[in-house]
Formats: sequence, C-alpha cells, structure tokens
Amino acid sequence: MAEIGKPNKLNGIIDCDVHPIPRKLEELHAYLPSRWHKHYVSFSRPFYNHPHHVLRLDALPEKGGAPGSDPDFLREQLINQFGIDYAILLPIPNITMWPNPTMAADLARAYNQWLADKWLDNNNFDGRFKGSITVAPQDPQAAVREIEHWASHPHMVQVLTDSGSDMNYGHKQFHPIYEACEHFGLPFAIHPTSEGLGINSPASPGYPTTYFEWSTSLTFSVQAHLVSFISEGVFERFPGLKVALVEGGSSWLAPLLWRLDEGWRGLRNEVPWVKKRPSEYVRENVRVTSQPLHSPENKEHLLQIFDMMNAKEVMMYASDYPHWDFDSPIRTFPKMDKDLKNRIFYENAKEFYKLP
Amino acid sequence: MAEHAVATVGEIREGKRKIVQIGKISIGVFNIKGEFFAIKNICPHKGAPLCKGSVQGMYVCGDNLDDVRLINEGEILRCPWHGWEFDIKSGKSIIDPNRYYVKNYEVTVDTDQPADAQVETFPTSIREKNVIVHV
Repeated sequence: MAEIGKPNKLNGIIDCDVHPIPRKLEELHAYLPSRWHKHYVSFSRPFYNHPHHVLRLDALPEKGGAPGSDPDFLREQLINQFGIDYAILLPIPNITMWPNPTMAADLARAYNQWLADKWLDNNNFDGRFKGSITVAPQDPQAAVREIEHWASHPHMVQVLTDSGSDMNYGHKQFHPIYEACEHFGLPFAIHPTSEGLGINSPASPGYPTTYFEWSTSLTFSVQAHLVSFISEGVFERFPGLKVALVEGGSSWLAPLLWRLDEGWRGLRNEVPWVKKRPSEYVRENVRVTSQPLHSPENKEHLLQIFDMMNAKEVMMYASDYPHWDFDSPIRTFPKMDKDLKNRIFYENAKEFYKLP
Repeated sequence: MAEHAVATVGEIREGKRKIVQIGKISIGVFNIKGEFFAIKNICPHKGAPLCKGSVQGMYVCGDNLDDVRLINEGEILRCPWHGWEFDIKSGKSIIDPNRYYVKNYEVTVDTDQPADAQVETFPTSIREKNVIVHV
C-alpha cells in the first residue's frame, strides 16, 4: 500500500468517514424512480445549512462538480496525499427524515446503486474505496432486503443510516435490520445529519436556532441511540452485531459508560436482558470514530480521555473529507505511543471491517 | 466464634427480618421460608444500612430474552439507597458476586434459652426456641 505522506511509519491508515456525493441531482435521479424526482429536489437541508461552506473550498474538483463528487480528485487529494489504505465511504442521503417510507426505501436503493456504480465497481482499481449500504429504517423489511441484496458485494463493508430519527434505535421494530447485519457480518453505522428535519425529532429538547447550535447538539442523539441499544438489550439479542458511531464525538463515552454501569448496578432488575455491565457491551460491540477530535489547550488532556474511554480498542480514525471540519491525519492527534496510534489509525478499523 | 441469642423463633416471621447489634456490628437476621440467615447491615457500595432494604425476588431472562421470570422470591435484598441486589443466603451481590458482597454469619436455632436482654419481648406462656447468630 502507498507510503506517501504516511505519518510516523504507521502500519497504515484507514479513514472511516469519507463522504462521496453525486455530481449533480440528475446523477442520482438516474437510479431513483421518476415519481420521487419532484420530491427529492436538493442535496441541501431546508434549514441548518452551514453559514459559509459545509464543504472544504479547496476540495472543488478541477473538472467541476461538488467536493466529494469526483473519485479521481478525491483519490488525489485524500488517498494519495496522506497515504490512505482504505476510505470508508458514507453517502449522506438524509434518508430518515422522509415521511414516505416507500420513497425513503427507494432513495436508499438509489444511493446504493449509485455508490456501487460510481465508486465501488468503477473508479476503484485498487479496491481502496469501501462502501456503506444505506438503509431507510422507516421500512425495516425493505432495509433487510437491501442488506440481503448488497451483502455479498466485495466492497460493501457496513450498513448505514442517519442518527436523526423519530425513535431510539434500540426499539424492537428495528431489530430485523440488526438481525440481518449480524447474519451477514456487516457493522451497523449511524451518522448524524437529519436531526430535527422532516419527521425526525431534534437531538435536543427543542429546535436549535443556528447551525452552530445544531451541529454541536448532534452528539446528543448519537449518545441517546447508544443508551437505547444497550438498555433494550440489542447486543444481548444480537451478540455478533457491531455498531459504528460515526462523527458523533467520543470524549463523552467514558463518563456516559460510568453512569450506565452505575445505573445498571441498581436497576438491572428492570432490564434483566442486560446481562453484563454496559461498558462491556461497548468494548465488544461498539466503535467510535475520532472526528471531530477536540483540541484542548493541554494536549495531555486528550490522551487522558483516550485512556479513560479505552480508545486503544474502541476508536477509529476518521477525517470527514471533504467537510469543513476535516481532521488531517498528520495535524490532528497529539503525540501518542506507536501502539495506540496504530490501533486508532489502522488496526481497529481493519479488524472491525475485516479488511484484507 | 461466640454465640449470641438475638430473638425468639416466633419473633421473626417468614419474610421478615430483625436488625440486631452484636458488639459493634449491626446485623440483619432474616427468616426465609422458616430458615434463618444473617448478614452484615452495611452495603459495600456506599455504606447504606443494607438490611433496611426491601426483600423481593429478582427478574431474569430465560433463553429467550423476552421471557422475563421472577425468581428467588423472598431471597433477594435490595439496598435502600441505590437498589443493588444481594442474595441474603450468601451475602453476595447479584451484579458482581465476587467483587461486591457482605459478610454473612452462621445462624442456628437453639432451645430454651431466654432471648438476649436487649431484645424487648412480650410475656408469653410458651417458651420459644431462640435464634442464635455466630459471630
């Protein structure tokens, strides 16, 4: 694998949050039944749009199109520049916000066909692009069919949906999705994006006012889903299920688990299906991605948090390319010992996604 | 090991308990289905008077996680503060029996000794057996 720009002789780098986007609406419409074209009219949100640029201005491809829409350019700017071994691709279709479950399921299918066509089956000569099977939780049966359809694809490595939702993801209605994920050995990933939009609850008690408030609050829904997964016994029902919490932050993990463990000691009787300490389920079944990584004044504090949250086992590097809050693999992390660095940048994800 | 008569048999009815002081140690004596058990009255978590907690059963799952069953009814003590569960018979916690447990004491039923003077009893025409805690 490439050695260019690889920091400090790492074993490798796996970037767990890279966002491809259709070049223009028509590119996606080609895969979407025509009856939805009039509804799916924009990639942007009706509100909570970024006040300046949600996409890096320097990521505009030379041949035109939006940042993240040109596989060659992305390969040049991200993969080659930093020596990335694998880029895990997560489209952001804002799928969970739609009130029509049939449309949402068709939209998921369109994104999957588009991703396979433009990024995985083509423009992927070295197999560095790995994809996510987008599903619409509004229609769990359709989601299961989607997983069944793509599971054997050599470059699809996980199942994906938005963390924006109108229901906590531990609920039984979603269990068929997890059953399918477990059956095919595909992790289930959630990524913030459509909180407070369409039919989705906000991540906070009420609606945020600004992008600043909204984007900061996204972490709350990710945490709520994790608490739900654990308290509903999802990992006890599907012990082989792996969950990736992408771009939901991670510094909250240790105190949340302390609290869950402590609560469980006194409330176990209410949730007898939670048979172990919550933190044990996380260690075995859950991974968090690094971006957006904090920059405390004292870098030592970050290392302490890594230690508390067991980053060595649960954290996976992510850049969030081509978004504005991109975390460069060479300028983001504090000095770490080699083993910890290799686990975060490479080994954890290699194991989690079973990458060659 | 000394023997301490702490109550008459009839004084602690089935499902009930009596908290007694033996020297400096506060101990809860429980009657579970006619058998007596004694454990220390201090929760290992944060020092609550454990034996003032509620005596119940506990919910567990069968092989199917939706099959929730109540087991060990009358044998589980739930701490009055944070609700940690302890098996009265062993003193061990349910959540982590080897890490969190309270000391338990041997209890026997003896004959025809007057109950310990500190225990207030009412005059009765029937001489009862005594509950003895071995500390």
